[in-house]
Amino acid sequence: MPPSPLPEGRTETLVLDRLALDRRDGDGRSFSILALPALTLEPGTSLGVSGPSGSGKSSLLHLVAGLLTPSAGRVSWGKTVVSALGESERDRWRRRTLGFVFQDFHLVPELDVAANIALPASFSSWRLDAAGKRRALELAEQMGLADPRRRAALLSRGEQQRVAIARALFGEPALLLADEPTASLDVARGEAIGALLVEAAARCGASLICASHDAALLARMDRRLDLTPAPAKLAS
Amino acid sequence: MNPFPMLLADLRALRWTAPAIVLLVAIAIASGIAIGAQERALRQGSARAADDFDLIVGAPGSQTQLVMSAVYLQPEALPLLDGRILQALAQDERVAAFAPLGFGDVSRGYPVIGTTAAFAGRWGRIAASEGRLFAAEGEAVIGADVNYRLGDTIAPSHGTAGNQGRHGEDSEEEHAHRHEGHGYTVVGRLPKLGSPWDRAVLVPIESVWEIHGLGNGHASETAASDAPFWQAGTNKPGAPPKPQDRIGPPFDGKRVPGVPAIVIKPKSVAGAYTLRAQYRQGGTMAFFPAEVLVSLYGALGDIRSILVVASAANTVLILLSVVLLLIAVNGLRRRRYATLRALGAPRSYVLLVTWLGAALLIAAGCVLGLALGLAATHAVSGLVAARTGLALAPSVGIGELSQAALLCLVGSVLAALPALASYRAPVLSGLRAD
Repeated sequence: MPPSPLPEGRTETLVLDRLALDRRDGDGRSFSILALPALTLEPGTSLGVSGPSGSGKSSLLHLVAGLLTPSAGRVSWGKTVVSALGESERDRWRRRTLGFVFQDFHLVPELDVAANIALPASFSSWRLDAAGKRRALELAEQMGLADPRRRAALLSRGEQQRVAIARALFGEPALLLADEPTASLDVARGEAIGALLVEAAARCGASLICASHDAALLARMDRRLDLTPAPAKLAS
Repeated sequence: MNPFPMLLADLRALRWTAPAIVLLVAIAIASGIAIGAQERALRQGSARAADDFDLIVGAPGSQTQLVMSAVYLQPEALPLLDGRILQALAQDERVAAFAPLGFGDVSRGYPVIGTTAAFAGRWGRIAASEGRLFAAEGEAVIGADVNYRLGDTIAPSHGTAGNQGRHGEDSEEEHAHRHEGHGYTVVGRLPKLGSPWDRAVLVPIESVWEIHGLGNGHASETAASDAPFWQAGTNKPGAPPKPQDRIGPPFDGKRVPGVPAIVIKPKSVAGAYTLRAQYRQGGTMAFFPAEVLVSLYGALGDIRSILVVASAANTVLILLSVVLLLIAVNGLRRRRYATLRALGAPRSYVLLVTWLGAALLIAAGCVLGLALGLAATHAVSGLVAARTGLALAPSVGIGELSQAALLCLVGSVLAALPALASYRAPVLSGLRAD
């Protein structure tokens, strides 16, 4: 799918440069979790990350999100070297730049659909303004969620993932990360959610990195990164 | 940032645990509040009850026992003072007024107290709320809570050890020890005093002496003593006493019977001290009730201190348990908070959500504890009043409010522990938590 024209301010490029993540086992011996020589993701591009369990798909997302610090190399977002930021700066960067969709949705069951979608707004402002409320309701509508006042605990799994996608999109992120977004859904729901995710990212001009085992979802991506045995293969 | 949407969600998730935490803290606070408020109410109530007893004279023995009998009407067998003291007091220029107190008889469980009309009217401080004060032998004025009506005849019985009966009810024991042939006509009712005297039947001391065959302490005793009280007690409320029935001081009889206690109202403070000094020797004991009350309050204060320390230790233990519980709860919510962080929430947001949640529960417990403490104090005061007639007016004072505020502060500081644990929790391990 050709990338759509990007909105203003969404022209940053994600660059992973000689990225490595090592860990030590119980005996103190170092082993590699992830080693990625180079990856550049142009604005508005979608990237599917595949590979068997334990190949480092989630770790890659966490490195990009700044939740993990690489053992070597760096993660850059435009001129910002994310991997070199302090914790509070990374929090701020995530808040302004990133949307995250989790495999198990991680909604707040006690809040309703609209409140879950708008939750990220409470991280930085005291009061959700009218535009924010309107955006939450619009996103709910776009995601096919009929009742925005329904508590998240009462939603089906498919509906919950739609809320999670809407929540990730609420802050109009420039980069959307999705970790196995269809893994806990049945095939039909997985297909629908996959299509919705890609479409939503494209609509708001966000770059999308999606780690998944789901071949149908991966097929929707502009680019693929297969983390099955090293060295990593980057395909267009 | 606005932590409240998340805070409310957290509290909703604890819909069973949160009320339990609030109740636990409230009970801990309430016990401390109740001890303080009750002790103060007891002190104020007992001091108020002793207001009209400036100086008490009795036979040598226990001052505490005499105060308990004379002021709080706790039945006790007391040694008698020589009646000649009454004659001496009548001549004493330092004395503004005095009244003998004769205990021992009961009716329907109410103590029958022999005294003077002046003391029944508390030296002119109060007037009868119904009828009038007694003005002749065979008449009685009753306390506000006594279950007799004006015009009723009261049949006194000799009080026996261990038999206090139930107020307002006749008992077999009373029947067995009745002073046959004697009775009092109720001519008046006193207003509520908030003391055990609200449950007393006040009669002329002369009548008490005569019932026990001791004469009436007056020069006219021979003539009067021939008339049984059934006859004397036929006076009606409002009817003026006959001149030969004069009661009250001076007691000018050849032989004035003894009494267990005398209340003296001195003319001056200096007079009070010289009277006290004078009657502290020569086979008598004199003291200000405040002296006894101060030592009783000292003991009460010691008990209170012990209870307060025990209650504070109890409260701290409960607060620690609550904090441990909240740490466990926050541990179970690791993934929830890690998700917030992954979505861009600063660590301070998670800190605020978790700290405010814990602090709010503890603060709610403190406020509820204040209310519970006050309710418990009222309940205990009601029991004390029902048992002793001593009206207590419990209230939450600055001490209790400070205590609750201090515990709220300590609780809020302790609440930072689970919040800090969540604040420091690594995001990734939280996201991977089950």
